[in-house]
Amino acid sequence: MSTLKKIAALVFFLVATAFAHHSFTAEFDDKKPVKLTGKVTEMKWSNPHSWIYMDVETNGKVVNWALETGAANALIRRGWKRDSLPAGTVLLVDGWQARNGSPTANVGSITFADGRKLFAGSSNEAAPAK
Amino acid sequence: MFVRFTKAVFVISAAFSAFSWGQNALPRTPQGKPNLQGIWKAQSRAAYDLQDHASKDDMPAGKGVVEGGAIPYQPWAAAKKLENFANRKTADPLGKCYFPGVPRIMYLDFPFQIFQTADHIAMTFEWSQVYRVIYTSGKPPLHDGFAFWMGDSRGHWEGETLVVEVKGHNDKTWFDHAGDFHSEALKLTERYRLLDADTMQYQVTFDDSKVFTRPWQITLLLSRQKNMDRLLEYQCQAEAEEASGAFERDDRTWYPEAGMKPNAAILPTNPMPAPAALAPVKTDVKTAASLRRTADGKPDLAGYYQSDGGGANYGLEQHVKDFLTPPGRGVVIEPADGSLPYQPWARAERIERELPQRGYDDPTAHCLVAGVPRSMYVPSPLQILQTPTHIVMLFERMSWRIIPLVNPLANRAHLPDHVRLWQGDSIGHWEGDTLVVDTTNLNGKTWLNEVGDVLSHSEHVVERFTPVSPQKIMYRATVTDPIVYTRPWTIEVPLNREAEELLEVACHEDNGDLQHLKDVRDEYRKQHPQNSTGKK
Repeated sequence: MSTLKKIAALVFFLVATAFAHHSFTAEFDDKKPVKLTGKVTEMKWSNPHSWIYMDVETNGKVVNWALETGAANALIRRGWKRDSLPAGTVLLVDGWQARNGSPTANVGSITFADGRKLFAGSSNEAAPAK
Repeated sequence: MFVRFTKAVFVISAAFSAFSWGQNALPRTPQGKPNLQGIWKAQSRAAYDLQDHASKDDMPAGKGVVEGGAIPYQPWAAAKKLENFANRKTADPLGKCYFPGVPRIMYLDFPFQIFQTADHIAMTFEWSQVYRVIYTSGKPPLHDGFAFWMGDSRGHWEGETLVVEVKGHNDKTWFDHAGDFHSEALKLTERYRLLDADTMQYQVTFDDSKVFTRPWQITLLLSRQKNMDRLLEYQCQAEAEEASGAFERDDRTWYPEAGMKPNAAILPTNPMPAPAALAPVKTDVKTAASLRRTADGKPDLAGYYQSDGGGANYGLEQHVKDFLTPPGRGVVIEPADGSLPYQPWARAERIERELPQRGYDDPTAHCLVAGVPRSMYVPSPLQILQTPTHIVMLFERMSWRIIPLVNPLANRAHLPDHVRLWQGDSIGHWEGDTLVVDTTNLNGKTWLNEVGDVLSHSEHVVERFTPVSPQKIMYRATVTDPIVYTRPWTIEVPLNREAEELLEVACHEDNGDLQHLKDVRDEYRKQHPQNSTGKK
């Protein structure tokens, strides 16, 4: 698998299966949708949520955003390594900003520089059919 | 015939292992290995300082456990250790209730229990319900390259000694309160050897070429806790947050501690009707024949599971998606209409808990223990270990439940009423192929899910684990809680077997969300000063 394909699969998984331990609806604001383009500075492997940190330039000022995604353990189980999402990767992220106004967002979808869109709905547990 | 034969073997081997508890003989497993099972605790001051030390205001004097007396630090590391020691009151990771790491967890002043199967040693610790699983089956680690607070443990037997290699450590833990430390390159070799039935020698070799000039070793003793028949709990982070006010008491649901009166505004449902009779979980002769069984003929539940929670963690009743809260199919099977039989005050509380300013109040947002039955359907895997005397559940979100199997006719009593626990006090027994677990002594601090379905300290849970195929357990929990509900109710959730072993969830250590939720709550309180609790 090419590196880009690997990253694509990783990001799809990140968005599709965030294993929540707290209410996303309480933390993030449905009235504050955000669209962010930037370069990944760090991927933090943690549970129940991993975080992508991304430098985003707005009006000449660079702000480092914290983007909340899925559980590190689910990714590790699929064979992802510590360096699977390298710094410098350019991403476009759709999400919702935290209600407290900090540069923090819950990830709704991620698009790569080449335009491929990986929309996967809510970044929370899918409810399987009975 | 085969079943009868294996039963006979089991009885003989059980009699043999009982016999081998004689004065000079070591207890042994049916496989002939030393039997390490039981409740243990270190008799040592090693948790304060591994080396000889005089007393200080926060540490009693102690004799060192390091062979040769001194830890062979590289010069830069010796200086770093001195700096750690000077800053220990704020810098010790244990002071923040972070995972103690290995080997520190082994000699904290808290007991732990060992469970032993043919291919695992599990250690459950009273300290914050941490556990270790040591594979003795030769199973290789599946996640090389990642670092964990508790490392990755693989064991094997060398004669009478259990030898455990621990790798994959992060560099955030200390070995003691004196600031002895290591890097991610740390490799430990632990040696566990019974000296007699009640004394175990614990030896550790430390190898970290980035910090030390050579490998070094400690030796100390673990003693069987003959005065304890079960582990209780010490939830470090919960206690710290309750003491500081970061996690607030709710008089309506929490157990009234000494000197407190029950909330007079809430009357328990009296009398509480008995739980409704339910149609049994469907199984047949074919199911029974297909199940893997233990030597004593019981279904072998051991393995990894993930609940098909159906959105129960976002509402037990059927509900639609709401912004970032997923939908749920509804898991309540009694009452038959799928609704929870709330008392009016509790329904109002449930609705309010879903408001953003209440998200902070969910204990799992603080990474506290999920409780019963929520531990069984949070979207995170669990492992079941089974011995003839215990069912042990290890949750990836780092907590455990220990369920002793007791003949129901023996009428084993639950803990005294005022001893309240996050995971309660559970007693189990088999009814045919169904494991029935009775749980009381719950503390009323837990929520049933993220949207705040309500429980109180009057909660009594009866769970039924029925294997319906080699791959699936049908799980039912009947909750009787007269402070919150007008009648008992029951949920049903399948638990599906998984192939992958558990990893570590360092939730509290990595909690990036709690401050955001606190900001939302604090802002609400600022805007509504007349309603300063943000609760009612």
